Amino acid sequence: MLKLTKVSKIYEGKVAYRALTDIDLEVEKGEFVAIMGPSGSGKTTLLNIISTNDAPTTGQVEIDGQQPHQLKKNALAKFRRNQLGFIFQDFNLLHTLTVQENIILPLTLDGVRASEMQNKAQQIAKSLGIGPIMNKRTYEISGGQAQRVAIARAMIHEPKMLLADEPTGNLDSKAAKDVMKMLVSINERNKTSLLMVTHDPQAASYSDRVVFIRDGKLHSEIHRGESRQAFFQKIIDMLSLMGGEGNEFSSIRV
Amino acid sequence: MNFRQFAFRNVLRNKRLYIAYFLSSMFTVMVFFTFAIFAFHPAFSEGSVNKYAIFGMAVAGGIIYIFSFFFILYSMSSFLQSRKKEFGLLITLGASDKQIRLMVFLENILIGFFATAGGILIGLVFAKSILLIAENILIIDESLDFYFPALAIVVTFVSFIFLFFCISVLVAFILRTNKLVDLIKGDKQSKGEPKASIVLSILAVFLLIAGYGTALYVKGASVVFVMIPVIIVVTLGTYILFTQLSVYCIRLMKKNKSIFWRKTNMLLFGDLSFRMKDNARTFFMVAIISTVAFSAIGSLYGFQSYLTKGIKEINPYTYTYSPFLDDSEEIIEQDIQQINSIIEEEKIDTEMEEAELVYFDTTAEESSVLIVKASDYNRFAALISEKELHPEENEAIVVEQSDAVITGGQKASDILMTSSVQLENGQEIQPSKTVESAVGLGITGYYVVNDSTYTELGTPGRTDFTAAWNVLDGNDNQLIEAGRKLEDQVEHKVFAVDYNLYEINKAYGPILFIGLFIGIVFFVSAGSFLYFRLFTDIDGEKRKFQSIAKIGLTQSELKKVVNRQVAILFFSPIVVALVHGAVALTALSRLFNYNLTVESALVLGSFAVIQVLYFLVVRFIYVKNVIRTVF
Repeated sequence: MLKLTKVSKIYEGKVAYRALTDIDLEVEKGEFVAIMGPSGSGKTTLLNIISTNDAPTTGQVEIDGQQPHQLKKNALAKFRRNQLGFIFQDFNLLHTLTVQENIILPLTLDGVRASEMQNKAQQIAKSLGIGPIMNKRTYEISGGQAQRVAIARAMIHEPKMLLADEPTGNLDSKAAKDVMKMLVSINERNKTSLLMVTHDPQAASYSDRVVFIRDGKLHSEIHRGESRQAFFQKIIDMLSLMGGEGNEFSSIRV
Repeated sequence: MNFRQFAFRNVLRNKRLYIAYFLSSMFTVMVFFTFAIFAFHPAFSEGSVNKYAIFGMAVAGGIIYIFSFFFILYSMSSFLQSRKKEFGLLITLGASDKQIRLMVFLENILIGFFATAGGILIGLVFAKSILLIAENILIIDESLDFYFPALAIVVTFVSFIFLFFCISVLVAFILRTNKLVDLIKGDKQSKGEPKASIVLSILAVFLLIAGYGTALYVKGASVVFVMIPVIIVVTLGTYILFTQLSVYCIRLMKKNKSIFWRKTNMLLFGDLSFRMKDNARTFFMVAIISTVAFSAIGSLYGFQSYLTKGIKEINPYTYTYSPFLDDSEEIIEQDIQQINSIIEEEKIDTEMEEAELVYFDTTAEESSVLIVKASDYNRFAALISEKELHPEENEAIVVEQSDAVITGGQKASDILMTSSVQLENGQEIQPSKTVESAVGLGITGYYVVNDSTYTELGTPGRTDFTAAWNVLDGNDNQLIEAGRKLEDQVEHKVFAVDYNLYEINKAYGPILFIGLFIGIVFFVSAGSFLYFRLFTDIDGEKRKFQSIAKIGLTQSELKKVVNRQVAILFFSPIVVALVHGAVALTALSRLFNYNLTVESALVLGSFAVIQVLYFLVVRFIYVKNVIRTVF
């Protein structure tokens, strides 16, 4: 589904900075992968390159057999709109639009018929439990609701791959749990590949596999076993092994 | 770094943010200054121009000054709106309200000082060209030489430093420091969509229709009486149009999902309704200011064309001689000789025709009516290459009076057509048709009859005489000079068209110039309001498009949305203003009963063209700016 070969990123400038070095990464179809690492390790740079918002200096990115970085600007925008879904830490909803309008925005840009959009929006709203707030404005809903709206928007055109950047970063623990459960169920039901960048070991423990990076290089990866609880403990152990300071990560909250 | 340095550095190191406010202030100063250069020119103070013109200029200067005040105040407050976040940060760091006000005050004084100095400098650069333009429009005998406008500089500098001081105090005073959270969140919060009521929306339509209807229905002098009520009703209607009806329409459109959800429409209208509260006020202001500009320039231009065209129409000949009623034939002959010698003296080549004009009594008319022989008519017609008339025997043709003659009641032709020409043998000839002709032998309409019929007419009432000269060769200066001499020496009997037009243009020039000046100032500042409206929100827009671009938005889609957004902003108030202006000018033409279609179309058309050009330029800058940050 997603294949990175020897991806490096160097930020040119007065002081050149090497953000990523020779990253090789593969994500299978329907797999849920979390990327973890301390601040400044290059997590977000990696996600930006995969999400085609940023181009790698060297190396190749292949999504579903296509190489998006070879595409022209307009084709790239369409590719992003149709093949990828995005979830952001700060939701990135437009406050000039209502919840429903935010959800259907990607379809609107593609010129889909109004009745079809209405149906899809209703369907997805029902499955994500945001039906009652469809006509509210974005500043009238809670953070957890906002993130669910953002997920609905990312899912409405049934993308092959969902990219999430700290999806629980702005949420309280209850809302974070709900959002993670929802992502897992989407992942299982639709076989949508999921790539998530996070700080939060609790959120990462919902994934199938956690990839750790540090100083722009792949450090290690661990797979989920039987229980989520044990996986969570393994993640914590790995984080302390990596030498990150304990207080960089949020404490256990179950 | 003390506080004063902080405030100054804030401005000097953040030029991009302050530049729009600075430029519009500088522009205002420049406008006032160029006007002052002109008004304080030594040529005027020496008293060769009449007192009314100077009074007019003083009034115009006052209007420009007051307008500048409000314009700068508005620019300032919209500029402060875009800096809420910065104030929030300062308050978080522990700045007191008093310090924030002091900062705004200091910034303003700094910007005001440089804007005044800059405006004066740029004004000096353009001074000569302004004087040249003024010279041509004004028709001033002595030329307006360039001079060093010390008085204008002092007056401009003092008035604007005072103005900026007042505004600084005022702004610092009204700068409300809201809750800190609101400031930091800044533009994230909606001011809410304004409520649209159906009743008020209908009222807007009703008011506009009533205003337009009255303005278009009323004729003649009563236009003056309905003017004030119509202006009030239409202004009110325009306000409700933008604050209620437009909101109502957008809401209606948003409900129709097949339109609202179509492609980029959602982004466009979602945003439009979100901003409508701010936009409505700008739209209203721009529409009204532009209407004032259009109407002022249109009516001045129309009035000038009315005056000059009217004179040309009544007097098709270069020089016309009409003696007093009791002048004897000797006096007439003497006058004509004198006229001919003056014309020769100025080396003008002319053709001349003369005729006796005989008035007869008719059945209907109380006063006697002019009846002209066809041969006489044709001689005069030949002078100005007008079509000849050949009435049959026992036929009378009515020649219509000129449109430019204002008469109450019926047209001359209506009266003449219903009456008849009486012959000596008692026979009555009914007039057969009416023609429009430039051969104005009488001021009102008259009959033209066959030469043989003419001999059978009854006893003449009174006899008059006319002579006309038409120029074959001679330049304008010669014609005007000869005209001056003729009107001087053969007083009240000779009418010289070119000389009269010259005199009218000379008297009318200052009014036209001042009107144009104020009209253009208003129009340009209306453009500035739009520019401000657009660029106050640009950061929010950039952020919005950035977040959509992350999901996937092509450049062409972005351009489409931005284009339409800017187009709506630029054209909806202007279209309203153009319609207002057209109605106002139509009412004006009804007042004078004079067709102003060409003049109105010319004035409104050129404003529309300028607006389109302005739109293209601003759109180019704006789109470039947005695309650069987003992609």
